[in-house]
Amino acid sequence: MHSVNVIDTVVFHNFKALRNTSLHLSLFNLVIGPNGSGKTSLIQALQQLRTLSQFPLGNDMIHTRSGGPEISFTFSAPYSAVVAQLGCASDLACDFMRVESRDAAAWLKVKSRLATLRSYVLDHNAMAQSSAPVDSTALASNGSNLAAVLAARRRDAPEAFARLEAELLRLLPEFTGIVLDEESDQRVRFSLGIDGAGEPVRAENLSQGVFYLLGLLVLSFDPKPPAVVCIEEIDRGIHPRMLREVRDVLYRLSYPASFGEKREPVQVIATTHSPYMLDQFRDHPDEIVITQKIGHEARFERLSDRADLPELLRDGTLGDMWFSGVLGGVPEER
Amino acid sequence: MKVALLSESPADEAVLRVLVDAILGEPAKITPAGFRARGWPNVLQVLPAVIRHLHFNTDVDTLVVTCDSDDSPVHTEAHEAPQYYHPHCRMCQLRAVFRQTSKRFPTAHGRLKIRRVVGVAVPALEAWLLCGRDSDVSEAAWINGQQAGRLPYTRAELKFRIYQTERPSLPHEIECALRETERHRSDLRRLEYDFPGFAALMKDLKSPAQT
Ligand SMILES: [Zn+2]
Repeated sequence: MHSVNVIDTVVFHNFKALRNTSLHLSLFNLVIGPNGSGKTSLIQALQQLRTLSQFPLGNDMIHTRSGGPEISFTFSAPYSAVVAQLGCASDLACDFMRVESRDAAAWLKVKSRLATLRSYVLDHNAMAQSSAPVDSTALASNGSNLAAVLAARRRDAPEAFARLEAELLRLLPEFTGIVLDEESDQRVRFSLGIDGAGEPVRAENLSQGVFYLLGLLVLSFDPKPPAVVCIEEIDRGIHPRMLREVRDVLYRLSYPASFGEKREPVQVIATTHSPYMLDQFRDHPDEIVITQKIGHEARFERLSDRADLPELLRDGTLGDMWFSGVLGGVPEER
Repeated sequence: MKVALLSESPADEAVLRVLVDAILGEPAKITPAGFRARGWPNVLQVLPAVIRHLHFNTDVDTLVVTCDSDDSPVHTEAHEAPQYYHPHCRMCQLRAVFRQTSKRFPTAHGRLKIRRVVGVAVPALEAWLLCGRDSDVSEAAWINGQQAGRLPYTRAELKFRIYQTERPSLPHEIECALRETERHRSDLRRLEYDFPGFAALMKDLKSPAQT
């Protein structure tokens, strides 16, 4: 059967705090846990996989090394026979990859999907800048080319742009439209229109949450999105009552059919520190990954693997349970 | 009547607005911003503060609270006996919070107490929405299932029947919920008969004010 996931499992050996742990990735994954527990390391590992997968495969024998950090990946059907193993000289630099596959064509397919993988740590200051129209098809990892991406989207995919804009205005009804201006140096700047005769609000005067929401919408309404998207801190700057909408913006990526989209699902790995965001996943505990850190060692757990989950949900919301420590995934205190 | 709502989601609140108007037979003055709880037991936790706030800081006279029963024990006729209190029944628990919170309130804004209106949807609001459409969905069917140890449907199934997906967008959820609510707007009798947790809400809402 053709699965909609790209990456099926990740196994870590001595990669930062991830000494010896594995994780099965679902189509949608919300990773929670204390700082330094491996949420970012997981995303870095995926980025390393993307980078190394695009180089020609080297000679295994020369590069095989023992004792250093290792990360291995398996992929979802029909590519489940492919195993990619990364070896790292240090925590920061994985420098070789070995692929085990009986089927070279399968690896090429996996490789082409991995090439599109993107990861994001959006930065509202960077997103407020005007941007040059070059290289504007994909949003940069900090969102710095937001204005140019919006302009390109409006030009190349006007229908998708219109839907993005309509969704933004539904979520933030104080605005009336996205205004894009090309400056004399050809850089693109955006502002948001407001009701009445007022001047549009220039990007630098918008609040942080507006940028993050706009960034997520640009990803979610991309007519040709990457196969895998990693996004850190998806709740940042957003009012807690709006988190259901943020969840839905991301669900649109992974479950396009539920949102009237006619494209392939995107595998999403997102992180949050918000208990209120966690509350939004009460009906889908299989989508929650908890990183546990004990001493210098961290490991992953799926919330749905907890046998006592129904009892826990009777006693409190998921967010409350997480904060209390019952779910784990809390900072250590001394 | 000036009504405030406390519910678990914007979709629940949209349905509640229609049902309150339908019960009263005329558009009530419902405060535009509803109070929101993050599911059970958060409803129970915020309710005292909402009651106090409404009593002392506003001229609202009625607070409508609804929640899903999930897999908790269902409020039955036996619970209505004087002095009876079931510690795990959500109807009993919410009513007790009203009672305890406003026990020693002085008169404020011309009323002694905020009118208590509590409804519990068994097992979830989607069951009310399916009432009269899917004949297998009723409070009795759920209670029979609980007793037999074989539930007739799950919350997730009820949601899927209405939204056709396990992950509806909020606008889709509200649109579907309001479409199903239309059936009840002109005739509430089926909902009242099949869902005592809704009938209790109706009865509370029609009760005389305590001045
Ligand atoms: Zn009861």
